[in-house]
Amino acid sequence: MKRALITGITGQDGSYLAEHLLSLNYRVFGLVRRSSTDGLERIFHILKNIELVEGDLLDQHSLVRALEKAKPDEIYNLAAQSFVPASFSQPIYTGEVTALGVTRMLEAIKSVCPKVKFYQASSSEMFGRVRESPQSEKTPFYPRSPYGVAKLYGHWITINYREAYNLFAVSGILFNHESPRRGQEFVTRKISLAVVRIKLGKQKKLVLGNLDARRDWGFAGDYVKAMHLMLQQNSPEDYVIGTGESHSVRDFVTNAFTVVGIKDWQRYVKTSKEFLRPSEVQRLIADPGRARKILGWKPETSFKELVKMMVETDLEREK
Amino acid sequence: MKTALIVGIAGQDGSYLAELLLQKGYHVFGLLREKERLENIEHLKKKIKLIYGDLRDKKSLEKAVLKVKPSELYNLAAISFIPASWKNPTLICDVNALGVSRLLEIIRDRSPKTKFFQASSAQMFGKPKECPQSEKTNFSPLNPYASSKLFAHFLVQSFREKYGVFSCSAIFYNHESERRPPEFVTRKITQGAVKIKLGLEKKLELGNLESRRDWGYAPDYVRAAWLMMQQNKPDDFVIATGKLHSVKDVCKIAFTTLGLNYKNYVVVKKEFIRKEEPVKLLGSVVKAKKILNWKPRISFEEMIKKMALYDLEVLKK
Repeated sequence: MKRALITGITGQDGSYLAEHLLSLNYRVFGLVRRSSTDGLERIFHILKNIELVEGDLLDQHSLVRALEKAKPDEIYNLAAQSFVPASFSQPIYTGEVTALGVTRMLEAIKSVCPKVKFYQASSSEMFGRVRESPQSEKTPFYPRSPYGVAKLYGHWITINYREAYNLFAVSGILFNHESPRRGQEFVTRKISLAVVRIKLGKQKKLVLGNLDARRDWGFAGDYVKAMHLMLQQNSPEDYVIGTGESHSVRDFVTNAFTVVGIKDWQRYVKTSKEFLRPSEVQRLIADPGRARKILGWKPETSFKELVKMMVETDLEREK
Repeated sequence: MKTALIVGIAGQDGSYLAELLLQKGYHVFGLLREKERLENIEHLKKKIKLIYGDLRDKKSLEKAVLKVKPSELYNLAAISFIPASWKNPTLICDVNALGVSRLLEIIRDRSPKTKFFQASSAQMFGKPKECPQSEKTNFSPLNPYASSKLFAHFLVQSFREKYGVFSCSAIFYNHESERRPPEFVTRKITQGAVKIKLGLEKKLELGNLESRRDWGYAPDYVRAAWLMMQQNKPDDFVIATGKLHSVKDVCKIAFTTLGLNYKNYVVVKKEFIRKEEPVKLLGSVVKAKKILNWKPRISFEEMIKKMALYDLEVLKK
């Protein structure tokens, strides 16, 4: 039985990945930080099937102990301070967790289990001010937020360790991926939740930033399968994972209102400068050709299905 | 009178920059850690003011900035010896990258008029896809030092674009001098050659003699740093000589200056050959020439000679 350790198991991706690995008969360990609020709602339904290990990316020694305990064949590093606006107000904390945390984990791997296969969650935010469109594994990086910068460091340090110590370490450059488990501070979930609450008369307005901002949005449940596939290859390589389609915030909004049967959505939506990003990333759209060819991976959920899934789940929750 | 704060003042670049700024009439403050060696700034002690602090300690940085209220802040402090970066990768990131984040946050929140200079490194290019490299060349760092420097480089851009902080980075290629620490190959060679000349040693052990670098003279490079801070707009520049020389060239010049033939003394040792040796790091200084009107004043040969003769002076005593 293969053993996997997931950091960030209580997050959106971690919870989907845990489900996926359980379905493949893995023994699943999750690294969790001690906290006065447990934050286990995303993995509540699988708590009996997984094993939680205490540890923190800020604490080198805790990682060593977690690896000794879990004895993993595969490690998925999905933990990060991942909210871009917060990275502007807390750049150092973001750097400590999202960047230095990767180095700490790689150091722990080097000393405890150098044969392990390591997955690092890189991000399309590393492309930032994009140099070409769509973006592939060969596109140069130009991050525009402390989050993107920290992720880029994590990306390079993973490659540094792979090349210098021959570790099986890969980075998946994942474009935006959403789900009903997305945190409410992210725009897709903010929209799905607000649309439902407007439908139910619990909320009057939805205030957004730039309606024309475009992203390549996929379903997180599809993306975690790509992570797993990357670690089943013969050689460690990096892959871009995305849908290859871009949609605007406006598209997301109109689709979401359509699901609840509201046509005159403009009545409810306002824009505010408060939500505009100081330095907006542009034309983020993936070229997932390589993942399709080598991993045989492609997204199974369409944009419309994704919006519908998110709105319907929130409708259930809010009723 | 302008006021400057130099972080890393006791190092090679910091001490030369302090001299330059004093010449230009600046009020110069320097930040350094306790127990740092002061030999590079001994001769300036009466003209500069020293403050103790550490890039890992935000409070100490904040105190220094609030006390000095610098019009210009130069960050030249870093853990810069590459082999060490594999031994202590987290420390290197904490100092070289998060240290910059700390300084930028302090400037943004407490001293927004302060101009910020960051010393980036050509090591960020790692395995470059083009030669020579310019400000537009893509990065691919090969070691924790280079990755931490790239982290800082993009933070400088982020804060400039988001908050309008006057922050700029120079992508410095290797720059040497009489003050270069002896673990760096140029100084190792000039010191080694002098020790052989004086009969203190018999051999000099080196790594790959064919390894080629773009080596400039540190005082030229700090002048570029100062020029960048005098521009109307903050921008990033490659600072280099645009010429490649080999380790063998350094040996030839250093030994010849002392009247010796390097072939009789230099031994190649495998353990000194670097992991992931970067290939052909060569800077294109078109932009710096055009916009800053900067070019190096001291040639490679002059520099190595200066270093060898200086080492001869010092070691004779």
